[in-house]
Amino acid sequence: MTPLNLAVAEATNLHEDELASYVITAAKEVFGTMVMMELEDSYPLREPITHFSCSVTGMVGLAGAYSGILSIHCPHEFAMKITSNMLGMDVEEMSADVHDALGEIANMLGGYVKQIISKGGLDINLSIPTVISGEEYTINFMSDSDCVSIPFTYDGGRFLVGLKLKKESA
Amino acid sequence: MANVLIVDDSSTMRKIISRALRQAGIEVDEIYEAADGIEGLNSLSSNSVGLILSDINMPNMDGLEFIRQVRANGSNVPIVMITTEGGEDIIREAINSGACDSIKKPFTPDQLNEKLGGLL
Repeated sequence: MTPLNLAVAEATNLHEDELASYVITAAKEVFGTMVMMELEDSYPLREPITHFSCSVTGMVGLAGAYSGILSIHCPHEFAMKITSNMLGMDVEEMSADVHDALGEIANMLGGYVKQIISKGGLDINLSIPTVISGEEYTINFMSDSDCVSIPFTYDGGRFLVGLKLKKESA
Repeated sequence: MANVLIVDDSSTMRKIISRALRQAGIEVDEIYEAADGIEGLNSLSSNSVGLILSDINMPNMDGLEFIRQVRANGSNVPIVMITTEGGEDIIREAINSGACDSIKKPFTPDQLNEKLGGLL
C-alpha cells in the first residue's frame, strides 16, 4: 500500500491526510455540482500509476508561491460519460467537447486547490488547461516522490486525480 | 429581457452557464459567446448586451484586462465574474477593475439566480 507522500504534506505545510481530504472534497464538490455524479474515493492508491490506455488526461499548472500540477486521468468511456453529464446530451465519441470538458474539470479542481494554499489569490497563477488523449501513453513526473494520486469510482467507472505540489522559496 | 454575453475559454462551461441561466428561470433574450477577452470586445462592438458573465483565467486576454477594456470604452453594463478564482485579493482586483460581483465555480443554478436575479 502506497500512502500519500510525506514530501507533499511537508511542502504545503499540511498533514498528508488533510491534503488528501482537500483533493477528495474538491473532486466530490466539482463532480456533485457540475457533473451530477456522487463519487466514492478509494484513498489511498495501492500502487503508483503512470501508464494509461485509451484514456484522456486534463492538467493545470500552478506557479508562484507554490508550483505544481493538478491532473485528472480518465478512461475514454468515463470521460465521455462526464462530458455527457456536463453538457446534458449524449456524447458517444472522443471529440473536442470531451477534451474541453476534462480541461475544465482540471481547471475547477486546480482552482479549489489554489484557494486552499494561496493567500488571497494573487500569489499563485493557474495555467490554462492542457489535455492529452491517446491509446497508450505514459506520464513521467520529474520526481514521483512528491506526487499524490487518489482513485475515485462512480457506477463501475474509475479515474484518478493527481496532485504534484512544491512550496517555492521566497 | 436582455442579451447576455458569456466570456469563457471553455465551450463546455459556456454551454453549462447558458443552460443554468434558463434552469434558474432568468429571462434572457440572446446569449452571445466569446472564448477570451478579445473575442468579448469584438462581440460588444456589434451586439448590445445587458449583462456580461466572464471568466478570469483565459488565454490571449484574461478577464481582468477584459473588464478594464470594457470600462475604458465607456460601458457601464454589469459584469459578473464566473471563475475558479476564489481568492479575496483577486476578486477585489476584479471589483476594483469594474466587476460588480463574482460567482465561484462550481456553482448551482440557484446560486446563479441568487447573484443574477436582480441584475436583469
